[in-house]
Amino acid sequence: MIYKKAVSFIKRDLILATSYKFEFFLRLFFMFFSILTFYFVAKLIGGAGAQYLEPYGGDYFSFVLIGIAFSGYQMTALRGFSESIRDEQMMGTLEAMLVTPTNTSTIITLSALWSFIFTSFRVLVYLLIGVFLLGADMSDANLFAAMVILVLTIICFSSIGIISASFIMILKRGDPINMLFMSTSELFGGVFFPIAVLPGWLQNISHILPITYSLSGMRHALLQGYSLHALAPDIIALVAFSVVLVPLGLLAFKYAVKKAKVDGTLVQY
Amino acid sequence: MGYAIETYDLTKKFALQKGFTEFLMHPFGKNEITAVKKVNIKIRKGELFGVLGPNGAGKTTLIKLLCTLVLPTEGTAYVNGYNIAEDSGKVRESIGFITADERSFYWRLTGQQNLKFFASLHNFYSFDAQKRVNELLDIVGLKNRADDRFLSYSAGMKQRMAIARGLLNDPEVVFMDEPTKGLDPGAAQNLRGFIKERIVKEQGKTVFLSTHHLGEAEQLCDRIAIIDEGEIRVIGSPEELKSELTKPNSTLDDVFLHYTGKEFKEEVAQKHPYPERRRMMREGRRGVMRGGRIGGIRF
Repeated sequence: MIYKKAVSFIKRDLILATSYKFEFFLRLFFMFFSILTFYFVAKLIGGAGAQYLEPYGGDYFSFVLIGIAFSGYQMTALRGFSESIRDEQMMGTLEAMLVTPTNTSTIITLSALWSFIFTSFRVLVYLLIGVFLLGADMSDANLFAAMVILVLTIICFSSIGIISASFIMILKRGDPINMLFMSTSELFGGVFFPIAVLPGWLQNISHILPITYSLSGMRHALLQGYSLHALAPDIIALVAFSVVLVPLGLLAFKYAVKKAKVDGTLVQY
Repeated sequence: MGYAIETYDLTKKFALQKGFTEFLMHPFGKNEITAVKKVNIKIRKGELFGVLGPNGAGKTTLIKLLCTLVLPTEGTAYVNGYNIAEDSGKVRESIGFITADERSFYWRLTGQQNLKFFASLHNFYSFDAQKRVNELLDIVGLKNRADDRFLSYSAGMKQRMAIARGLLNDPEVVFMDEPTKGLDPGAAQNLRGFIKERIVKEQGKTVFLSTHHLGEAEQLCDRIAIIDEGEIRVIGSPEELKSELTKPNSTLDDVFLHYTGKEFKEEVAQKHPYPERRRMMREGRRGVMRGGRIGGIRF
């Protein structure tokens, strides 16, 4: 029955999103801008970083296109869960949902579903524009391997997002997990440049961030057509993160809901 | 006899947030306020039970405890035989919650879309959900406005939507937190009729209602609990409570004064110093309220 419930949440959020028509179309329109910016940056750089970009096929635009597209999943996970709690608290609808038999974790998880769907749509638009209009080369892509990396990425990032939502449930604002990952990922996670550019001691930080393995795996799968076997190091790292983060996220959220119920702050913001 | 609701020494204390100086001076000291204090009540099935008290008396906290939104500090309670702390899921399956807060709906969805969404949270989907939603829209007299956005509804219509949502799962126990709050006197009176006639008499549901209107409590409730500063001072039917006083022609005002030592009306008035102006401003913002019918009752 969970999928029927999921459909209800998606329907609700789709109607709400499209009821603000101007904002909805603006969001679609401005997707083109960031991608065009990096296209021209790539033109300027040309072959300057070739030695660092070689493992990814050598083209900076293709490299950064995947970076900006798929790092969106991390942003969505970090913001989606906590913002869905906060939005429902502020709208005043959270209490009405929490007195139904649907448990709190399901409500929070399904509330973030629309954000993931919209992010997936944005990634697809980025890739289509990049490939068909701006010449990014993904002719060797191994789509199945990319899907495996994507699923692991979503599981991993969602767990971090749920930990972040747990903080929001208790602190209401000032969630440290969100700030930590948002501020470190662009620098250390390899979104705009390969982590090989960083000095060795800084690369150690990159290796403890899931986004590093996610983007590395995704680039190798889409740009170089790596097989699952060749992607094993990235897949193993993402599985290991998931094994730790999924139970941690669920425990943190269970504790946060209990604490909010004890403190009577479940619907406060 | 099976009770719909039983509470045993139910207590809720909230920690008060410390100021910066207080935190520095007494970092480990606890400041607490007792919102609900050792409440013991037993409510029969099919009873319309009211909790009467001024603002801040602990009515809403008591309802939130029984609806599993807040965990008790001490004591326990059973709703439909389920423990509120240990079987919270079962409790929520068997209750409906009606709040006066119009913000608890999605204003940009239609009435029907709102109810269908909340029906899915009660595990009603597709055909079952549509059937139940249609029935309820008919009961509360909103069938003709089902496809209008919630934001276009009048205050009375919004309150009828809250009732429809509270009945989605055909609950055995319905909690109502100040259900007539924000309604004009005519709409409030009609809603009271609907609660008593349709929900309690026809459908046989147990209703636990909080109010700070003496007349509402007297008119509606089989029994009333007077609550003040988190404590239940007395429980009884309005007639019993009045007859226990020695004063001839006693009113619920007198009962409240007798058991709490406070003037009830004055206290409410102090909380809302300009009720008429507040009403006019509210109506001015929302426009003129449109009437409707629910279950044959104008409202």
